Amino acid sequence: MPELTRRNLMKATLAGSAALSLSGCGMLPRKADSNSPQQYTGAIGLTDGSFAVGAIAPSGQMLWQAPVNTRCHSGCNRPGTAEVLFFERRPGWAFYVLNSKTGEQRHHIEAAKGEHFVGHGVFSPDGRYLYAPVNRYEPGEGIIAVYDSHQHYRRVDTFELNGIGPHQITMHPDGQTLVVGLGGILTHPDYDRIKLNLPTMKPALVMMDRVSGDILARFRPSHHQLSTRHVDVAPNGTVYAAYQYQGPAHELPPLVARYRNGHYEEIDFGESVHRELGNYISSIIAHPENELVAIASPVGGTALVFNDRTGEVIEKSAIADCAGVAALADGDFLVSSGRGKLVRMGKGKPGVEIASMPVQWDHHLV
Amino acid sequence: MKRLALTLFLASSLTAVPLMAADDKNASDPTAVYRTQWHKDILAGYQSLATQSQKLESQAQTYCQSPSSEELEATKRLWLDAFLAWQQVRFIDFGPVEENNRAWQFQFWPDPKNLVARKASYLLKDEAPITPEKIGESGVAVQGFPMVEYLLYDQTFRSSERALPAGRSCQLLVAVTRHIARNGETLANDWKGFQGNYLGSEQYTDTTIRAAMAGLEILEERRLATPMGLRGNGKRSVYSADAWRSGASLIAADASVQGLKNHFLPAFAKLLNDRGQTDLAKRIEQQFEEVLANFPELDRPMAPLLSDDNAFKPLQSLYIDLTQLTALVNDRAAVELGVVRGFNSSDGD
Repeated sequence: MPELTRRNLMKATLAGSAALSLSGCGMLPRKADSNSPQQYTGAIGLTDGSFAVGAIAPSGQMLWQAPVNTRCHSGCNRPGTAEVLFFERRPGWAFYVLNSKTGEQRHHIEAAKGEHFVGHGVFSPDGRYLYAPVNRYEPGEGIIAVYDSHQHYRRVDTFELNGIGPHQITMHPDGQTLVVGLGGILTHPDYDRIKLNLPTMKPALVMMDRVSGDILARFRPSHHQLSTRHVDVAPNGTVYAAYQYQGPAHELPPLVARYRNGHYEEIDFGESVHRELGNYISSIIAHPENELVAIASPVGGTALVFNDRTGEVIEKSAIADCAGVAALADGDFLVSSGRGKLVRMGKGKPGVEIASMPVQWDHHLV
Repeated sequence: MKRLALTLFLASSLTAVPLMAADDKNASDPTAVYRTQWHKDILAGYQSLATQSQKLESQAQTYCQSPSSEELEATKRLWLDAFLAWQQVRFIDFGPVEENNRAWQFQFWPDPKNLVARKASYLLKDEAPITPEKIGESGVAVQGFPMVEYLLYDQTFRSSERALPAGRSCQLLVAVTRHIARNGETLANDWKGFQGNYLGSEQYTDTTIRAAMAGLEILEERRLATPMGLRGNGKRSVYSADAWRSGASLIAADASVQGLKNHFLPAFAKLLNDRGQTDLAKRIEQQFEEVLANFPELDRPMAPLLSDDNAFKPLQSLYIDLTQLTALVNDRAAVELGVVRGFNSSDGD
């Protein structure tokens, strides 16, 4: 299954460790000693049908809401600054740069002609370069678009992914390697969200050098319809990928994969758990302080925490329309739902609702 | 979206137990009985679609062999019959209809870029023969009811030199109706073959309920509220509706509600009754009748109703009746049963 290309990734993986500070999207939580702001930001739908980006304190209190033109999906904090970016949901024609303390809009950057964003992005550790997965939709090519925040988010580079349908991107703790979920699904904005190539999908977990754009590794899931959408990396360099299966609902394939020590392997939670996940995972987060990983499935209405060492599911909650997951400073996780709930769960702690508000949280908290 | 407050209120419990999670794997499957009924009811709908599509194909051939205004009218009638048979089963968004984007093949919609007209123009100007393979590779905008509707009804096209029964347009008509007929037949057969998996997998109970919920929401929001100007920019526009070329938007809505009543409601009402929700089951059955009572009065083109405030009123009544039905099924019943169709679960990323 692992299909290593061009370079051996081992070195990068082993090198990526404690020495480097955590930065960029997917590198939560907000630790007491962290430079990141003590808040989580997510895209929301409001009761009147409009959309916003909202920030909450770890306690669940809403800090600010910034109106946006259309539904957003995810985003990223810009390291070393008080800026948070949010991308319009696929097909995303723009991203917003907001003041992370107030929600005030600083920039509104539109996609280049013939391209759309897919809802995700990540910064270089120094906070200068933004790496955004993009669909170049006429030829149906996935790329990573590079923007320079020091030049008002001017487009400065383009990296080819040699594949279709990139989705989430995150930064490896080595500060050098981009980790990309390549969903494999061909779409075109003229055709709504129709999946145009289900029989011939080639999803993959892709590792890319953030400076050269070289593809360092490409791992294929065990079935060609396991759309590899969401990714995260633990501080020790273990990479996680979460799938969304495009085949029939009665088939229950593995939905989570892990890459470490040179091995790419899928984690099987057993049939009954897979059934509760509805073949769909919207978020995967490895906790930086322990060996726990959390996933959420809005389709299955299930969030769970598993032990990375044993693969054992240690906590599971039924949370309607849950999608977003973030790591809390004390080793627990925060789960958000499309029904306005914020739920805290962790080892020995089944889901406890800490807030409920009249908003619909989209997939991700950053 | 506007129903969120109600939904939040009703879903006060964090852990509404989903139907499928309530049961131990080794215990008997208590919802299999409903899926048995659904499988049978949906098969009847698919078989009707297959039969009507077959008739349409055959009539298209007859018309193109010896064109006349009578045969053209007969073709339009059979297009509508087949299209309405599709409307009845359109809510089913899982199982064999998912393969090869078959649902999209039957009806590519919405079409804000007018791809149907653009693709027709491209195919008719092209010189390559219009073969089944050509249709097969031309994409979903070519392969279904909207393309046939374009050829039969589009005013600009009907007054052009390529209008039916011009040779190449007739070739396209015959080829597309054949494609629809093949898809109809395959879908009915595949649904039969799907029986084992459908009856054997408990999650399809939730999936079937969610499909009906989605069907109601699409009907309310996208097929009615949007063209009625209740969403987006607030402007009424028949072009936001489906089947505007043939004036069949509302009769198609009628058929979709009939379809839910015929192919979904019987087993769903039984499920609610068995869960002790007899009042709710009765209210839902009554609300289906309320919605359907707006027809056949409203089985007419939508465009004139949008341009006149008085004529708009019966449309508003239909819309209100439908929102009440949607609230009963999607909020009340689904929440009682622990089935959720949400902001993220219904159209994720």
